[in-house]
Order: sequence, then C-alpha cells, then structure tokens
Amino acid sequence: MRELVITSLRGALTSVSDLLARALPRLLAGAIIVLAGWVIARIVEAILRRLLVLARFNRLFERKGLSRALSSAALPSAAEMIARIIFWLLWVSFILVGVNALGIVALQQEVSDFVSLLPQFIVALLIIFFGFLIANFLSRAALLAAVNANSPSPRLVGSFVRFMVLLLFVSMGLERIRLGRGVVLVAFAVSFGAIMLGLAIAFGLGGRHVARRILERRFAADNGERREEKDDEGSHL
Amino acid sequence: MSVIGALANHAAGPSDSSADPLWYKDAIIYETHVRAFHDSNGDGIGDFRGLLQKLDYVQDLGVTAIWLLPFYPSPLKDDGYDISDYTAINPAYGTLEDFKEFLAEAHRRNLRLITELVINHTSDQHPWFQEARSSRDSPRRDWYVWSDTDRRYRGVGIIFKDSELSNWAWDPISKSYYWHRFFSHQPDLNYDNPAVLEEVWKVMQFWSDLGVDGFRVDAVPYLVEREGTSCENLAETHEVVKSLRRRLNEKYPQSFLLAEANQSPADVRPYFGSGDEFHMAFHFPLMPRMFMAVKLEDRKPIVDILQQTPDIPESCQWGIFLRNHDELTLSMVSDEERDYMYDVYALDAGARLYLGIRRRLAPLMENDRRRLELMNGMLMSLPGSPIVYYGDEIGMGDNIYLGDRNGVRTPMQWSGGRNAGFSTVDPERLFLPVLSNAVYGYQAVNVDAQRRSENSLLAWMKRLIRVRRSSRVFSRGRLFFLQPRNHRVFAYIRELEKERVLVVNNLSRSAQVVELDLRPFEGNIPIEMFGENPFPRIGQLPYLLTLAPYSFYWFRLRRL
Amino acid sequence: MTEDSLLSDEFIRQLTAVSEVDIVVGLPTLNDSDTVQRVVTAILVGLAKYCPRERSVLINPDGGSKDGSAEAVQAASMPDFRAVLVPNPLRTMHVVSTRYPGVQGESEALTMLFAAADLLGAKACVLISPDLESVTPEWIDALVRPVLKNGFDFVAPVYQRRRFDGMLVKNLLHPLIQTLYGHQVEEPVGREMAFSGKLAAYFLGDESRRENFPGLGAHVWMTTAAMAAGYRLCQSFLGPRVTASRRSGLDLNTTIQEVAGTLFRCMEIHQSYWISRDGCEEVPTFGFQPVLDLDAARIDRKRMFQMFGRGVNELGSVLEKIVSPETLRAITEISKQEEKHFLFPDDLWVKTVFEFAASYHHSVINRDHLLQALTPLYRGRVCSFILENARAGNEDVDRKLESLRQQYQQQKPYLIERWNRQA
Repeated sequence: MRELVITSLRGALTSVSDLLARALPRLLAGAIIVLAGWVIARIVEAILRRLLVLARFNRLFERKGLSRALSSAALPSAAEMIARIIFWLLWVSFILVGVNALGIVALQQEVSDFVSLLPQFIVALLIIFFGFLIANFLSRAALLAAVNANSPSPRLVGSFVRFMVLLLFVSMGLERIRLGRGVVLVAFAVSFGAIMLGLAIAFGLGGRHVARRILERRFAADNGERREEKDDEGSHL
Repeated sequence: MSVIGALANHAAGPSDSSADPLWYKDAIIYETHVRAFHDSNGDGIGDFRGLLQKLDYVQDLGVTAIWLLPFYPSPLKDDGYDISDYTAINPAYGTLEDFKEFLAEAHRRNLRLITELVINHTSDQHPWFQEARSSRDSPRRDWYVWSDTDRRYRGVGIIFKDSELSNWAWDPISKSYYWHRFFSHQPDLNYDNPAVLEEVWKVMQFWSDLGVDGFRVDAVPYLVEREGTSCENLAETHEVVKSLRRRLNEKYPQSFLLAEANQSPADVRPYFGSGDEFHMAFHFPLMPRMFMAVKLEDRKPIVDILQQTPDIPESCQWGIFLRNHDELTLSMVSDEERDYMYDVYALDAGARLYLGIRRRLAPLMENDRRRLELMNGMLMSLPGSPIVYYGDEIGMGDNIYLGDRNGVRTPMQWSGGRNAGFSTVDPERLFLPVLSNAVYGYQAVNVDAQRRSENSLLAWMKRLIRVRRSSRVFSRGRLFFLQPRNHRVFAYIRELEKERVLVVNNLSRSAQVVELDLRPFEGNIPIEMFGENPFPRIGQLPYLLTLAPYSFYWFRLRRL
Repeated sequence: MTEDSLLSDEFIRQLTAVSEVDIVVGLPTLNDSDTVQRVVTAILVGLAKYCPRERSVLINPDGGSKDGSAEAVQAASMPDFRAVLVPNPLRTMHVVSTRYPGVQGESEALTMLFAAADLLGAKACVLISPDLESVTPEWIDALVRPVLKNGFDFVAPVYQRRRFDGMLVKNLLHPLIQTLYGHQVEEPVGREMAFSGKLAAYFLGDESRRENFPGLGAHVWMTTAAMAAGYRLCQSFLGPRVTASRRSGLDLNTTIQEVAGTLFRCMEIHQSYWISRDGCEEVPTFGFQPVLDLDAARIDRKRMFQMFGRGVNELGSVLEKIVSPETLRAITEISKQEEKHFLFPDDLWVKTVFEFAASYHHSVINRDHLLQALTPLYRGRVCSFILENARAGNEDVDRKLESLRQQYQQQKPYLIERWNRQA
C-alpha cells in the first residue's frame, strides 16, 4: 500500500519532472522568443521611426491633408502611428510563435484558431478604432453646433451622438469576428437610426447656413421676396 | 463696276454732271485763299493770275470745286471778312478781268467756284456805313442797327470774347451805338430794312452772272436781331434766307447756297428748311469729335454726334471738314470735352484762340502719316461733301506766333526754292512769312517734292480722292453704324441702292482685332477698294478683321 | 484649375474688345437683381464724373444667379447722365458680364478679376458689392484716386460705423492684423476696396490664392497678402455702409469661420513675415469724415451673455485642448460672474485669441471645430465690451480700443512662443 503510494508518487513525480524536463526548455524557448521579439520589434520600430522622420514622411501626409485629420482626432503623427503599428504587429507575431513553441496541443489549436481569425480581428479592431474617431468627431461637432445654436443641454446631444455611433461601430466590429450575431442585427437597426439622427442634428444645426444657402439657390428664382432673419447681434464686420 | 470704269465715267462726267442740279452733293471742295496760294506779279501777295497758273494742280488733285475766301476790297482787319465793296476785286489780287479769266479756266477744267457772301456785316469803311453814320438823317441810316443805348439786346453772347467787351460800339460821329456781333469794325446790316435785302440780291446776281457757281453765306444765324432773344437762329433770319434762295433758284437753278452756322446739328437743321433754304451747311460739331475720337481711341464721340444729327431733305447735303481757315472751334462741345481737347491738342496756350485751337491738321496729328491718312479717310467716307483746306493735302504746318488765325493762312509751299515758290519777292515783303522750320518748313514740305514720290502724302491724297469719286455711295449713300464690341474700331456701311461699302477704321495707336456682325450681307465678297483685292466671303460667323495701328479699310461689298 | 483656363473663351473675346484699360471695376453678383442696378448706375456715373479720361470697364462675374442679375447689370449700363448732373462720358463704357464656375464664395470671381486686370493692363481695380444701398458715385473717386493719382497699391475703405458695429473687426481682426502685420487698417475686411494693377498681378501669381478662401476670407487674404508683400497701403473714407442682402444676416459662426479662420491661416502663410517684424506704420487716410454720431447698433446683450456662459460650461472638454489651463480657469471664473458686473478683461481676451491662433496652427483639433469653439467666447467679449462702453463717448471707446491694441502688442512674444512650441 505504502509502496504503491510511493510508487505512484514517484511515478507522478517522475512524470511531472519528466513533463517539466520536457516542458521547461520549451517554456524557456517560448519566453526567449517573446522577449527577443519585443527587443527586435522595438529596434525595428525605432529604425522605422528614424527613417520616416528622415524621409519627411509627415510632410507627405501634410500635403494630403491627412495629418490635420489625425491631429484633429487627437492621434499622433503619421510616422509615429506607422512605427507603433509595425511594433505591435511584430511583437504579436513573436508572441504567437512563442506560444506555439510551448508545444501544448490545446494551445496550439487555440493559436491556429486565433491566427486564422487574426485578419478578421484586425479588421474588427480597425472598424472599432475608426468608430471611435468618427464618434469623437461627430459628437464634438454636435456639441459645438448645439452650443452655438443656443439649444438646451448640448453635452447630452454630444454624448448621445457618441454613444449611438460607437454602438454601430462596435456591433459592426463584433459581427466581423462572429460574436453575438443576434445582437448585431438589432444593434445595427438602432445605431443606423442613431447615426441618421446624429447627422441630422449635426447638419441641421451646424450646417444650417449651408442648408439655407442650398435652399436659397434652389428657390431664389421663384421666390421674389427674400426675407432675412437678422439675429439681434448687430453686424460683426 | 470697276474703279477704272468708274473713273472713266467721271472723266466724261463733269459735262453731264454740270447738268445735274445736285452737283454739290458729290462735290469735293478745295478751300483756299487767293492771297496765300500763288503770287504771279512778285508783290508778295497772291493773286488771281497766280491762282490761274496753279489750276492744273488743283484739277490734278481730283477735287471738283474751289471755295475762295473773300477777295473783295477790304481794310483786311478780319482777313477780308470786312468787305468795303461787294462787287469788286481787291486790287492786290488783280482785276475783275483777271477774275473772269480765272473763272473761265476753272470751268474749262470742270472746277466749280464757290465764293463768300459776307452779308451779316460790312466793314466800317464801306461807303454804306460811312453814309449811314454821317448823320442820323442819312437815307442809309437804317441799313445798320443803331441805338442810343448799349442796353438793347442784353444777354446776347459775345463771340470774340478775347477782343470785344460788348456787341455795341460807340460811333462818335453820329453819337450813337451800332450793333456788331463780330469785331467792332464790322457793323451788322439791318435786315429789317427791305432795301438791304434787295442790295444783297443785286450782289448775288452780279457774281452769278459772271459764272460763280455758289455762295458760302457767312455768319448766317446772326442776320436779324430781336429784343429778348439770343439774336441767333430767329424765324426772321430764316425768312431772309428763304427769300434769297427763292430768287436764286428761279434765276440760277444750278447755283447753291452753303451756310456757315456754327451750331449743334439740331439747331442747324432748320437752315435746310424743307429744302427751301440752304443746299448745304457745315457740320461743325463733327470735326472736333473726330479729333477727340482719335485721341481717345474710342468711336463714341463720332457715333454720338452722328446719331444726334437729324435727317436732312433729299436735296440737301452736309459740308464736312477737318480743318479750315478758322480755329478748330470747340464752341460746340461740352466743357469737359473742351478741356480734354485743350489738354491733348493744345497744351501750348499759344495754340488756343477764342474757344478753339489755331492749328493745322498735320501739327495736330503730330505729323503722323498714319493718323493723317486715317483722318482724311474718315473725312472722305462719312456722309457729306468733304472740304480740303489748302496745304493740308501736303501736310503743311502752321505758325501760332503770327497772331489771330494768320498762323494757318501762310503761303502755300510749292517748292523748296525762294519763298517756297510762292513769290519771287524779297522774303521780307511777303504778306505773311513762309514756314521755314525743320519739320514743316517749305524745304521739308512742298508740292514739288511730293509730286516726285509715289509714296508722298499728296500722291496718297490723290488716290484717296479718286477712290472716293469712284462711287456716289460715299456722297449720297445712307449710313449705318456697325457696333462691334471693340470700341477702338469705328465701322459703318454706306449704302446707295444696291451698292454697299463697308468702312472699318482703327482709331487706336495699336493693332486691333475686330469681329463684325455682317450677317445681313452674308454671301457678299468684300473687295478692298484701294487695291481691288477680294477678302474672304462673308458668312454666318462674325467677320474677323485685324487692323494695323490707325489703319482703315474700304470694302465694296459684291455679290458674286 | 489650370492657369490658362481661368478665363472662358467668351470672356476673353469680350475682353479683347475692351482691350487696354486704366480701371477695372469688379462687381461680383449672385442673385442681386433687386439692388444691383442702382450700384451699376452709381459706378458708371462715378466713372464718368471722376475718371472721364480714363479707359474703364465694369466686369460682372456672376455666380450663376437665377434671378437675372447679369441681365440687370447689362440693362443698367446706360444711365441717364444728365439727370445726375454729369456730362455724357467721353468714352465708350464697357460692361462685361460673365459666369464664374464656382458656387462657393467669391474666390473664383476675384481670380477672374485679377486675371482680367492683368490681361487688360489695368492701372487700378475697384471692388464693389452688388447689394449696397448706400453706394454713391463718390465711392469710385475715393477708391480709385489714391491708386491712380497717388501711387498707392491698396486702398482699404473706412466706413462710418454705428457704435458697437463691427465688433469682430474691432476686437480681433483690426488689432491682431495691426500687431502682426504692422499696418493700421481700420477695415481689414473691407468689402469695397481698390488695388493697383501691379498688386492684382501679384495676387494672381501668389501661390496662396489657390486655397480658395471662403466668402469674405478672400478679402482678409488680400489685405494681409498686400501687407506682407510690402505694397503701399492707404485707406479712404466712404461713408455709411448699408446693404440689402443676406450677407449682413450671415450668422456669426460662418462669419468667424470665414474671417477669423482665414486670418489664422494667413498667419501661417505669412509667418516668416510677422514673426520677425516689429513696429507699426501709419496708413494715410483720405476723405472727409463728418462728425456724426449714429445710433448704436442694437445688440441683445443678455442673450450673448447667456450663450457665453453656457458655451464655457458645456465646452470645457473642447476648450481644454485649445487654450492653456490657466486661461480656461480664468474664463470659467468670469463666466460665473453676474451679468451686471461681467468683465472679460483685455489681457485675457488677447491671450485667448493668441492661444486659439496657435492651436489653429498646430491643428490640435479639427480647425472648423476650433473656430466654432471661439464663437461663444467672442460673444462674451462683445457683451463685456458693450457693458464697459455703454455710457462712453466715441473718444472713450477709441481710447479703450487703443489700449486693447497695446495689449495685443505686449503679448505678441507670448503668441510667438505658443506658435513655435511643438505640439
């Protein structure tokens, strides 16, 4: 009995130590890969950043008007963005290689699943990322428009627009990676309405002079008298 | 009809055109002064014999009539417009016999003669005035306009503001005032007295019987005076004219009357009556506007004035001119226009006289041949009978330092020889000195030199006159303005029956392009009249022409 | 748009007919048929009366009016000169109408004018608004003469103002331009102005013209570009400016977008000029200005104050990106004051403007949003200005404005520091 226990204990110990003996190098290798990956990714990032700066990459973007869009969305410069994206891509792929090196079958399955899902995942992330940008932009536009139109609770309008736009994009992102399919349809219907509302508010308030100009041009011909509402602000010019 | 054909017709024409009572409508008139043209007897003053010797030159120029400034006995205080005997020749210019001979020779060359009829006033040396002033009871007393006070006809304008203070002058002999619209030595005749009119008619008969073909009547608007009026253009004045015209028509149907009335076209129009007053009247306001247009590089002044010009009876004609023996008058333009003219044409105050500019054509055009040609081209193609002032056909200059208007009345420059070939006398004895400066002096500008060159202004003028005479469309045709968008281009159509001529003038000192709307003449071929060469056929599209600086085209439009 | 297609073939044909001129008068129209005839008459009478000897052309770029503005311009081109005691003009007066392709703003119309002036060799160009009710022939003289007779290149207008009119000009544009560009031009957004042919050619060739500044922005650009390029400036008194059109009813937001936005953009374009520049030049002023106290403009102060308060309260998250924390704190503080004792002090206002300009330069947020965030603050400033000057005479107001200008001048180093600071 005692022996049996000892034997089995020993056996277990041996198998654990065996396991350890077998797994440890892999674990080590995995860790080394991940660590080395981090270092390599950092180096590549730094070199890339330097190169892009030297190549005046930002200037190129400035001319296309993109850097203004980036900064207005509170994002770093184009060179910085690219450098960071490359870093993360590199490092994530090193992590995956490292996990694979562990040689755990279940994990390997998960990793291969993950790798097959990876493109979708990245796309989903991008969608959500742009959703954030757009939501930020539109909510700020709505907020400013509401303030300048002297309408009540502008912040509420802004938050509402942000929420609705985010909802749409998040659900679109989730749809990408086949999560919560049921929710998506409903969420889409809701968010579509929200976007329309947001746009209507943004355009209706912020762009009312544009709208008026368009209407005016449209109807000027048949509308002889053109009454102008003058706000009681005098002439500023 | 080709130009050659037309010329042949005209060469044969004068005898038949002499039968045409409307001959003055086709006339090209050469204005000159006996005194200044040629001196045959070496006394320093031109005379009829001298004029006779130069008739070939006048004929060769191509003009059809001569208009002589006053050649009557006169104290010459106003260049002969102060006449002291209406029916004689100033002895300095020759005798009546000389005159008759000259006239016969002129007629033989198919040149008509127009003389001056200065009937608004006489010289104060005239026997009529001497008799009238001798006593208040003189039988000729009321041949003139007398008054005990200088307050009658107040508010009437003074013409020679530079030299006269009032229209009344004091006569110390009869101790009263006499009326004079011009100089005080030119008392006005009194047309309220029928005897005066009779006497004038006698004078007209005298010259008409000698063969004179027409009269230029001086200072027409001022004949009759009435209290409370401007004493100009009165109905009574028109009656005087009508009566003279009626008598002239009855006795001398070929003769004609030319009015000097320096008025706006609308005010001159009544002098044509319904074809029963003057045959012709000068178009005074057109002339300054032609000068203005060339300087402004804008056709507007000419178009404006011609559009303001009323239609005249079929038998009547305008007399048009660039320059004459008087100053370039600016009395018929607005103050702004006058200031502009002074600034661009008479910066030198010495060139200004009365309300005008005392200069000849060539100096006004800065001796620019192209501008001289353009101005003459317009003169010969606008409606009216053109009048060429002697010397302008060779580009003579002037001498503004000679006082009054004598600067434009200097001797004709015939050659580069002694006294410009005008006279053999010592230069000091000439009635006026000949021009001798480097640009316009007789060494540089004279008939002899220009005769030798095909390219001279004189040769060019002869060609111009010949082309003008090739068609009656210029003298009798109707006028239509084309209104191209380029205002520097002055374009018009002259049209007589089926004949049409397109005239395009570039008023600018730079090359111009113009698009003419010639659709009414679609299908016609424009034929340039000086070279007889065809241009592209007129189509639906705007007709595009490019014009060199100050150049002009005359196109006969032909359907072929 | 390429350089050679600036002018349409038909427009070129019309210009060839006009050919060399001395004066080009530009009259851009867009649905102005009810007022434009009077304006055309005033221009033509002015030209006939004051420039009888100059060759002139009136060019009317029309932005595609549906109410027949261009036809109205053509119809008005033969005024009865005698009726206004002016002799008939010596010269042909050309009135050329043409369509400009753009729909937004006057930039294209101005470009056409520059090109036409260049092509025709004009000595002077005049710009007149088609919706004016107070224009007189004298305006032409006042604008053209300094260019033709005195050799100036740019003539800015001086209008007779009601008190509290033109607050944006007085509180922002005028002092800011004076501080940066060193020229004391009272109306940097003058809608009537004149410039020399030389300057028109410069505008035409200037790279920054292609940015197509919106609406009145183009006028700010012209004024500042002329200053930055060292052209000779002057101003000419015109009298009161009364218009009949929607322009004056243009809402404040758009005005700030067009005018302040363009000025901030011009600061970027001309930064090499103003950063190193110091001092201020007097700009000669022509014309007789009558002493006349017009009624003060009617402004709803309460509403402006309320909108200021709410704006500051609601826009904290936006403003903190634009202005410095101290400024934001100070603004928040004054927004809590009672309306009666409200004061938006000069130094704070100037600091705010400078921080906005710098933030615009660095594009900290979308530039349109940035300018929209300026609107409530400007409202507060106007409200404070009116409160401060409610009982002040004209001279007192002038003194106040002078001290505001000095404030701008004093803080210029701060602007340069913020401007040059890396984002």
